[in-house]
Amino acid sequence: MQPLIADETLVAQLKRPESREKAFGVLVNTYKERLYWHIRRIVLDHDDTDDVLQNTFIKIYRNIEGFKGDSKLYSWMYRIATNESLTFLKQRSKKSGVTDEELKTRMIENLEADVYFEGDEIQLKLQQALATLPEKQKLVFNMKYYQEMKYDEISEVLETSVGALKASYHLAVKKLEAYFKEH
Amino acid sequence: MGKNKGEDFKLPEGYFANFNARLQERMKAEVEDEALSFLPKSDGFKVPDGYFDQLSEQLKQKLEPKETKVINLRTYRKVAYSVAAVAAIFILVFSLRTPAEASVEFSDLANAEIASYFEDTQWDVTTAELAEIIPVEEVELADLVETDLESENILEYLDENIEDIDEIDLNFETYEE
Repeated sequence: MQPLIADETLVAQLKRPESREKAFGVLVNTYKERLYWHIRRIVLDHDDTDDVLQNTFIKIYRNIEGFKGDSKLYSWMYRIATNESLTFLKQRSKKSGVTDEELKTRMIENLEADVYFEGDEIQLKLQQALATLPEKQKLVFNMKYYQEMKYDEISEVLETSVGALKASYHLAVKKLEAYFKEH
Repeated sequence: MGKNKGEDFKLPEGYFANFNARLQERMKAEVEDEALSFLPKSDGFKVPDGYFDQLSEQLKQKLEPKETKVINLRTYRKVAYSVAAVAAIFILVFSLRTPAEASVEFSDLANAEIASYFEDTQWDVTTAELAEIIPVEEVELADLVETDLESENILEYLDENIEDIDEIDLNFETYEE
């Protein structure tokens, strides 16, 4: 993951009021697409993704003062994006009074009508298969396979050892394969 | 076979020396590709045209008008107190004006109101943030759960909710450190 500008420089600029706005523009442009695809694969719908992505950037902007640089900037931002997405889904299921399982089914049904989803049969089946995985396995699989992130990058974001991630990924692939064979 | 000993054709230097290694690498790559050939190359998500171009502008507008609307976590506690106070006053007035309906105890009503407020309100507070304002040392498990947890209930919960038993750290020794 190559940022256009060194993270340390960007963080320093973000913390100074006079350079904040410009630096934030650079930050958004550098990371918007990556964070968008990360969130989209969790919440599935484009409009919901747009909401969560904007909230993520607003949180980043308002909390940059507290960013201590113990972790890398991108992993900190990915963590915020992941938390925002999962919180969004939890609130959604609480608001509509359905279980997490029911929500997953509804999300996939909505996907069929989503104009920003190609909706081909095998792609729909992939989402159905992914919905059967535990949340963490699904995250690891998407980050590795479709977002093409490296294990050490995923390790920083999810704060999980590379060994455990490889095991999660392997399990996810096995379960997906089994699902595709059965359905 | 015997006729051509390689005089007619030339080969890159060391071609045969590293042939095995290259073959193995190629076979390995093919096995890996094959393993996931059941998956679609793309997962089918698209974005509206020009979406990413207007995102920065949209964010800028959102951040500009109400500059740094910082929400202090401690205000949540104040909000909770104010809400409780308002609810209590409201119920007090209400119960004084309609003595006929006094069959419901004042304290029951107040508690129910406050409980339902907390139940129905979408709190934009994560558990981590809550943990910051409620010191863990002062909270007993019994404060959070209404009934005693029997180990039977715990096992039943785990059975229903944990999809992958391997993800739980069952190595009790790690907790003893």
